[in-house]
Amino acid sequence: MLTEIQALLEFIYIVVAGIFAGLLGAMTGLGGGTVLVPVLTIFFQIPLIFAIGASLISTIATSAGSASAYTKQKIANVKIGIGLEMSTTAGAIVGTLTLAYFNGHDLLWAIYVLFGVVLLFSLIPSVKKTLAELPPPTEGDWTTRIFQLHGSYYDQRMKKTVEYNGVRWWAGEIVMFFAGFISGLLGIGSGALKVLGMDWAMNLPMKVTTTTSNFMIGITAATGSSIYWHLGYIQPFIAAATAIGVLIGAFLGAKLLIRITNSNIRWLFFSILSFLGVEMILEGLKADSLVSIPSVVMILISMSASVLVIVLLFIYVRKLRKDIIRRTRSEEQ
Amino acid sequence: MKSFDQEGVTSLILKSGVVVSLFLILFGTILIFTVRHADHLTLSQIADIYSTTIINSSQIGLGDLLSGSLSLDGIYLISLGLWVLIFTPISVVFVGLIDFELQKNYRYVIMSLIVLFNLFFAMLVIG
Repeated sequence: MLTEIQALLEFIYIVVAGIFAGLLGAMTGLGGGTVLVPVLTIFFQIPLIFAIGASLISTIATSAGSASAYTKQKIANVKIGIGLEMSTTAGAIVGTLTLAYFNGHDLLWAIYVLFGVVLLFSLIPSVKKTLAELPPPTEGDWTTRIFQLHGSYYDQRMKKTVEYNGVRWWAGEIVMFFAGFISGLLGIGSGALKVLGMDWAMNLPMKVTTTTSNFMIGITAATGSSIYWHLGYIQPFIAAATAIGVLIGAFLGAKLLIRITNSNIRWLFFSILSFLGVEMILEGLKADSLVSIPSVVMILISMSASVLVIVLLFIYVRKLRKDIIRRTRSEEQ
Repeated sequence: MKSFDQEGVTSLILKSGVVVSLFLILFGTILIFTVRHADHLTLSQIADIYSTTIINSSQIGLGDLLSGSLSLDGIYLISLGLWVLIFTPISVVFVGLIDFELQKNYRYVIMSLIVLFNLFFAMLVIG
């Protein structure tokens, strides 16, 4: 039995975990949920299903909080966002029902492993995002015209209005279905996948992509959360603490992000995330008794694996940066 | 072409939704810690984060949200706050729908309706 003081301390600890998750999520652009689920399960030993439920519902708070600023600045494209939400909401429904199936058949270890893998792969578009490059301008295709994918926004850093044409709407919809599926399955915003859909598939500028994805995350998470509610995946005490924590964290993160001029500090956050990703994979394998390793060894494995991941990502970004510089030079000539 | 400041309204809804829900969640939490029980459960039962059966959202009926909150039950106030949070992004799609209707952009009216259908399908049918 918990005393009142113990209960209060427990609440405060979860709020602090939420602040950490929100902060890290905002700094890396991955959102609070991606950090919250590993933290709650690995450090607090909270049942995975409750961690996922609390995470998804907290994601709505951060999405709404930051999207309110971006939509006002007219950077986020609400029209493109709503069009793509047809797929993300459908994907979220399928994802949530898949989670329910896994939960009912003692397959939750697979969710741990999948979570770790998704987290590690999400790092690729996230580090790429730090380069914030404009996509090569296109004339548009038939979907640009039919689905009105033309838009513009004022870029404050470049001090000019950027015009853009979205293309391959259908490819965007396909990627978005998977983004929604992952969101419902793992209780995260899956912003990284949404960014992939709009940046890679639809050729939208990174600023439009990230802000629109932020706005969309809330709608996808609302779909998943309402099913989670009926399935009993939301524990009010945990969800209350995480919603408060993640919101504070995301708010502080957004403020800090403007002040941090040295982008290298982000690598520290990326390394924490990759550590959490590897930990989740090992946790899943351990839960299914596929491997039995002592916790200390597990932490050592996660640390060395995350160092490897970070080195690989760093090399990838350096190559990307060189390519951009080369392309800009040849354009100038 | 009639239209309104869709981005401004959207931004306002998102901001106020978060504030209202946070207020309800905070109020509910304070009540749980001061009254030390809610929804026939003791504080230590509510704070049992390891048991998946003592308390979870499937036991909290949506029909009782308002009456429970009005009788100042902490669990129901937190739940109401969480549902305000869920409805916040949904209302943004509604605003989009109205805006597209005013602009006679019927392609996007249909798309907004599909999104809303998915949302309510998740909420009512699957639930």
